[in-house]
Amino acid sequence: MKPAVILVGADKGGVGKTTVSRVLLDYLAASNVVARAFDTESPRGTLKRFHPGLTDIVDVTHTPDQMKIIDTLNSAGAKVSVIDVRAGQLGATLRALKEIGFLDAAREGQFTFVVFHILGPSISSLDEIAETAPYVSDANYFLVKNFINDTTFFEWDPATYASYFKKIKHAGDVTIPKLNEMAYEQVELAGVPFSTFVANQTAEGDSAKYSFVLRGYARTWFRNISAEFDRVGLLALLGAKLVKR
Amino acid sequence: MARLLADYFLARRRPFFGFDTDPHESPFAVRFPGLVEVADLATVKGQIALFDQLLRRDATPRIVDVWARSWSGFLKITRETGLVEEARRLDIEPVFLLVVDDAGAWIDAANGLLAQWPDLRLVLARNHGLAAGVDTSAHFPGLRDFDIAGLDPIVAQAMERPELSLSRFLVAPPVEMSIVVRTALRAWVLGVFTQIQAYELRVAMDERGGR
Repeated sequence: MKPAVILVGADKGGVGKTTVSRVLLDYLAASNVVARAFDTESPRGTLKRFHPGLTDIVDVTHTPDQMKIIDTLNSAGAKVSVIDVRAGQLGATLRALKEIGFLDAAREGQFTFVVFHILGPSISSLDEIAETAPYVSDANYFLVKNFINDTTFFEWDPATYASYFKKIKHAGDVTIPKLNEMAYEQVELAGVPFSTFVANQTAEGDSAKYSFVLRGYARTWFRNISAEFDRVGLLALLGAKLVKR
Repeated sequence: MARLLADYFLARRRPFFGFDTDPHESPFAVRFPGLVEVADLATVKGQIALFDQLLRRDATPRIVDVWARSWSGFLKITRETGLVEEARRLDIEPVFLLVVDDAGAWIDAANGLLAQWPDLRLVLARNHGLAAGVDTSAHFPGLRDFDIAGLDPIVAQAMERPELSLSRFLVAPPVEMSIVVRTALRAWVLGVFTQIQAYELRVAMDERGGR
């Protein structure tokens, strides 16, 4: 299994980027893939709150932090590094990765590079697809429609939809369904990974008293997202085996 | 049927918790005030009030009266939350009791339940007053059923009186009730209770025998 970097980013805040990073870490753990995470919401990261043992807070545009991530890709125990890119920094991060030669190394096959581009429900968010395009030609690039609210992604207007979603020919698309609000809030309050919540455990591993109904909603939601990651062949891209769920 | 189950437990001085999923008229809750809670499944709060209670590990039986209009929602939540699987993990055995009628909707309901959980404890309650000519064994030969006799309209009317508790009726029937009605109602109630008790014994024996 080659070292892999999964970049999760959006140029707008509030589109559920960290939620996708969190669910990715849960998915990888459930698939027996050891991962580490970098949270670029310096100085205080949301991702670190939920996955403190796996997550380091970094500023990906700073050289020392770039070294911390990229130079350890081969030596780290975890072969997959998930980078939760701060809102508004996706373009800058991709530029930085290009400048340090990471994108070339990925093209040469030294690393697996996956980008999850989380979209918001606005034209400006969709315009980001074009801005990102020059940097992701050699990446496994996925446009993520995150239904964190009753968003539509212009499906009701086929011309607009096609003009954005068909813009990058090799882009895959991933749909993240909406999680029941009350379940989402209870996970937020608990401050634990989704899988820990579903397993009715506290962050310390003790038995918790979360609502069965809300855990059930989270379980179904996670199962559906896992099926979506399976569908796009994420584990195969990472060189890992598909697990029976 | 939910009322009969509740009165069956009351007659045996056994506690129970009841839930009525009809948030509008709530006939089950109205009949057993303080013992039956209304759970509106259209709200997450109502879902939590019901489903989280069903998984309490104690010996108290829970009776859920699933209103016809909340049946599909109830099943959807049951499936999505993994209620049956979680209950079994906790050694709680869910029993589904389907009331058979002439319309045939029960056949789809039973098929749907068995497709999802082939080893589910499913009991068909065939009330001759509602489904006189229905042969449940022709559709589901392996399923257990409660065979509930039809009630004479006068007796049925007496039973529907809001203040009439079937469990109390067995001990002290209202003096103003006709002796004929009393006798018929008593025989009918005891007939149903005997079948519920037989089913309970059967489940206990199955459990002792590993299933």
